[in-house]
Amino acid sequence: MSKIDCKNIWKIYNGNVIGVKDLTFTCNDKEFLAILGPSGGGKSSTLRMLAGLEEISKGEIQFDGKVVNQLGPAERNVALAFESYALYYRMNVYENIAFPLRAKGMKNKDVDKSVKDIAEALNLTSILKKKPAELAGGHQQRVSLARALVRRPNLTLLDEPLSHMDQRIRGEIRAQIRRIHELFGNTTIYVTHDQAEAISLCDRLLILNNAELQQIGTVNEIYNKPKNKFVAYFVGQPGMNFIDGTIESIDHVFLETSDGRISFKFNGEINPKYIGSNITIGVRPQQIKTVQNKEANSIISGVVKIVEFQGDNDVITLQLSDINKTQIKVVIPAGGYRYKRNDICWLEFDPNYIHLFDEEGNSIIER
Amino acid sequence: MVEVRFENVTKLYGKKLAINNISFDVKEGEFFSILGPTGAGKTTILKMIAGIEPVTSGKILFNNVIVNNMPPYERNVSMAFETYNLYSHFTVYENIAFPLRAPKWKLNLSKEEEKKRVVEIATFLGIEKLLDRRPQALSGGQKQRVSLARALVRKPQVYLLDEPIAHLDAKLKFSTQTLLREFATNYKSTIIYVTHDYREALALSDRMMVLRKGVIEQIDTPENIYYTPKTDFTGRLVGEPPMNMIDGELIKEANKALFKVGNYFTIPLRKELAEVAEKVAKLKNDKLNVRLGIRCEDIKLGLHKISESSFQLPIYAIVHEAESFIVSFELENTILQIRTKEDSELERLRISDLVWLDFVPEKIFFYENTMEISKS
Repeated sequence: MSKIDCKNIWKIYNGNVIGVKDLTFTCNDKEFLAILGPSGGGKSSTLRMLAGLEEISKGEIQFDGKVVNQLGPAERNVALAFESYALYYRMNVYENIAFPLRAKGMKNKDVDKSVKDIAEALNLTSILKKKPAELAGGHQQRVSLARALVRRPNLTLLDEPLSHMDQRIRGEIRAQIRRIHELFGNTTIYVTHDQAEAISLCDRLLILNNAELQQIGTVNEIYNKPKNKFVAYFVGQPGMNFIDGTIESIDHVFLETSDGRISFKFNGEINPKYIGSNITIGVRPQQIKTVQNKEANSIISGVVKIVEFQGDNDVITLQLSDINKTQIKVVIPAGGYRYKRNDICWLEFDPNYIHLFDEEGNSIIER
Repeated sequence: MVEVRFENVTKLYGKKLAINNISFDVKEGEFFSILGPTGAGKTTILKMIAGIEPVTSGKILFNNVIVNNMPPYERNVSMAFETYNLYSHFTVYENIAFPLRAPKWKLNLSKEEEKKRVVEIATFLGIEKLLDRRPQALSGGQKQRVSLARALVRKPQVYLLDEPIAHLDAKLKFSTQTLLREFATNYKSTIIYVTHDYREALALSDRMMVLRKGVIEQIDTPENIYYTPKTDFTGRLVGEPPMNMIDGELIKEANKALFKVGNYFTIPLRKELAEVAEKVAKLKNDKLNVRLGIRCEDIKLGLHKISESSFQLPIYAIVHEAESFIVSFELENTILQIRTKEDSELERLRISDLVWLDFVPEKIFFYENTMEISKS
């Protein structure tokens, strides 16, 4: 197990296509870090450079303070588990797990102990003699993990291992991966485009887009203090709503409506130079309170355009009464009033959960 | 718009039974989804409605008229395929305009009128900037929206949409789903929609069918499918995490009934619940085996005893969601999953800690065991 440092790493393909741009981050010993972003964002290039499968164009990768740029995957002692399990179909489960140990020249007796220990931890003992083809997807997944973990790697890299899994077993597999992580404490970097997946498993999240680092932090930091509009929209389902507004004072913003200005308060620090500037107000669909009739704290009204039932909640799409007739989404938890199309709905924004972004899309509020 | 009815329809591919004697009707103007896993027969149903696949036996009716022998072009349906089926030598504009130009519909639109319709639907789906491109220059998600636009550009008797947003990335899928809902609400069209994603079916449908190996498992509103699934299969197919299914034993004593799950826990059952359980229980080795279903939101968690029927289990794992977390527990046949809102007391919990669980009695279901459930 190791602490991983990426220092100003670049991946440049064919001399000019930038895959990863000046990326710096640390993955602490025993940490579970998720790298999240849309396809083409630079996730896979980063993973491949960490694994030693791809040359680092510029910058340094260190394992426990030692530069590993020139080392291959085996010398780095990195374990990889891919989306496709890549199991050896002629070998049984036992031999699949034993394979990396035998490749290192470990003695039979020690191989046996290591394989049995990891199989016990992952509940695979009863299927050690089976061939991969006889196993369900979830089992294959775990064999692949067991093979990755058996040699106690410095770093475990997981590349979208769950993306094609049936919704009915995904939750169980997530629980298993998280449990294995807590029991073994492997330093793990997990690459995915699925924000729910990343949130469920990681200690910290690193978000990449257009080859650049957008933000790194705990789920709570990313969700509640997104650094820019990209992060705010990408993390969370549905993503954050954006409404055009203007900074009125150090702690108030306003919206224009046909009946004049609506002003409301936010909590947090902004630079006074923004007073009078046009900005974007961000509010999460999960953090808006709605009522049918106007109350003292109501800020703005909207008309319900669309109602989508989601099981444990409804997602409603509202057309606000601002001059832009902005459409926003609000998550309405089950159990209360169920809005219908054309209902009027009044909204309340919690001042602690109002986000503000400048014209470049960067957050301008500190909390 | 038409009403579509199936009467005892069966479809055989050679000797393989794809659709087994199903009957249902889709009302005029209804958004009706067919939900099922791969291989359930969903696409086969659409193809039979379109007339691309013949029916082996039974009747399909449009507004009470049997259409079994009516060729596809006379049925006036509009279909979007999961595989796009775009014409590669046409531009996106021409692909979308294609159904408007087809002589059989005798639309005879002027150039301006055609353009207005094409641009309108393309703008609606956010692909108006792609109209001059050819399909080869599009991503999978873009192709899929072109295919959808082509299906929606005309006003047929019935729209048949086969996984039309399956290949969009998560954010786009969600916003396109909202657009489809808007389209359906605005045009009051009869839409039959095939998907394997329960979220789409719940969000879009007026009513939906759950299909399993060519047999109808349940037809109902999305709310009833979610809150009162009739079978263990439907409960597992809808929701994430899916409905928990716990196999145990029904024990009847003089004036009480118990549900016992191995050495894990035993809970008392109220009289009405015990009666439901008894109806579906199966006697095996002198034991009454029964399956309990409960959704992950309907189990309470606490550090202290919650009620007379609460019990303790050690935590198997904890995973986070944006505004809640899921605590899981290992049982003999399954990993029980519970969703809890953020709570500072529970936040400190770790693997193997013992916590109290309590099932909300009104949310407990008992099912006949119709499917294998094993830890994956």
